[in-house]
Amino acid sequence: MTDFPYELSDSVLMVTLDGRLDTNTSPQLEKFLAEKLETGQVKGLVIDFEPTEYISSAGLRILLMAAKKMKSSGGKLILCALSDHVQEVFDIAGFTPVFNIEATRDLAVVAAQN
Amino acid sequence: MSSPSSQTDIAIRNLDALLEVATQIGAVIDLDELLELIVSKTTSVMDAERSSLFCYDPQTNELWSRVAEGLGSEELRFPAEQGIAGETLTTRKIINIPNAYEDARFNPSFDKATGFKTRSVLSVPLITAGGNVVGVVQVLNKSNGEPFGPDDEKLLMALGTQAAVAIQRSQLVQVQLEQQKTHEALRLAAEIQMNMLPRNDEAFLKQKRLEVASYLKPAKEVGGDFYDYFLVDENHLAVVMGDVSDKGIPAALFMAITKTLIKSVARNGLKPDQVLRQVNDDLLLQSDSGMFVTIFLGIIDISSGEVAYANGGHGSPYQVTPSGDVVKFQPVPGIALGVTDAIEFGAGMTHLATGNYLVTYTDGVNEAMDEDGAEYGYGRLEELLNQKFDSSTLVIEAILDDVDAFVQKAPQSDDLTVLVYRHL
Repeated sequence: MTDFPYELSDSVLMVTLDGRLDTNTSPQLEKFLAEKLETGQVKGLVIDFEPTEYISSAGLRILLMAAKKMKSSGGKLILCALSDHVQEVFDIAGFTPVFNIEATRDLAVVAAQN
Repeated sequence: MSSPSSQTDIAIRNLDALLEVATQIGAVIDLDELLELIVSKTTSVMDAERSSLFCYDPQTNELWSRVAEGLGSEELRFPAEQGIAGETLTTRKIINIPNAYEDARFNPSFDKATGFKTRSVLSVPLITAGGNVVGVVQVLNKSNGEPFGPDDEKLLMALGTQAAVAIQRSQLVQVQLEQQKTHEALRLAAEIQMNMLPRNDEAFLKQKRLEVASYLKPAKEVGGDFYDYFLVDENHLAVVMGDVSDKGIPAALFMAITKTLIKSVARNGLKPDQVLRQVNDDLLLQSDSGMFVTIFLGIIDISSGEVAYANGGHGSPYQVTPSGDVVKFQPVPGIALGVTDAIEFGAGMTHLATGNYLVTYTDGVNEAMDEDGAEYGYGRLEELLNQKFDSSTLVIEAILDDVDAFVQKAPQSDDLTVLVYRHL
């Protein structure tokens, strides 16, 4: 997962996480998000987990940092389309209540725009 | 014009000089020492008044020199296209200037600064056998007062090739040494980290009539998993299993802080949920790295077998009876530590009958992956635990063997840690 497919429209950045988000791929996502958020144009960030196979605690850390960054700039991070397996990782770590999670990408985009 | 015999003499003398220089610079590895040696040998072999050596830095596209004779040891840096040296580097061609002050490329500022009077300049690119330009060498003022001739050009080119090879080799060795240093630092960090974990201290355990076994295998040299066990008071044993998000030195430092905080807070006699709450608040004061740690904390009454526990986003441990019944600890509310403040952790309570095992682990077990990317999973772990064990150590061995059999040749993707307590 060296490449992160993304779209930017109406100040909402939508990123799709394909494959595995683990110790090896997390630094790439960290760098990618840092570059995109640096521009100051992103008011809402949507991360789509639909094709995500796996997330480790290193991946959760990147999401947590992204949430903090968005919050400090007055924006929002919305996660969407978590598979049962990914959801379980969030549940065990106790992260589910910490993030805004939507069932679908469409709902997430709406939530990010509000 | 020289006579044929004196030409031969010169050729032989040059060859001897070259061989000698080649032997000498071949014995030096340290770059600074090497550059100094090349400069001094070049001056004497070329029978010149001074020499300068400029190394090319491809990262900044600059030429730099620490050894321009007469300039002291100050480092000089300039853009790689600048001056006679720059032109030598970019064109990869010899520049022979018989009268420096009549040549527009010559920069007289060094003469002004040093009081030296440059007459002639011979500038040669340092090209390795593989065709890389590593720098430029220049000689100034032939001792006999004449300009440098074609023989001098040949000789300096030959010297330059020797020098280029030696410089490249020295630079490669330096890179290797740097890598070794980094590697050594990481190895030391891993060693310090491993030393922070309690050893399986037989004497302590035997004296207290306790049975605890543990195992930790980092995926990288410095990992994020840790465990701990210690007496809170004469009758209570604390058991800690933790997993810091991420790995490497930052994770190791975060782990060290967490482990220390838990031990000191738990020894104040607080309940596990209160301990996690306090440690969480303390960790949040530390940094904004976004780092967090999942933790299971159990405090066992060693006479009664009562276990009070709390869970900061860690996988629930198992209780295994002597006959092999496997029960997961009832989940209690909680979140990984270091994420958000003012968290209430749930207080759990269970009872270990005599002979019962408490099995704690990190996700390196249940998320161990085979070559096809399939996970070991809780189901297989529970099935494995469903048997009669004779000791805590054998429980750990069984888990490790089964995980090994599952992953086969796939590389270990996460730290793997297990700690087992048996209530005696």
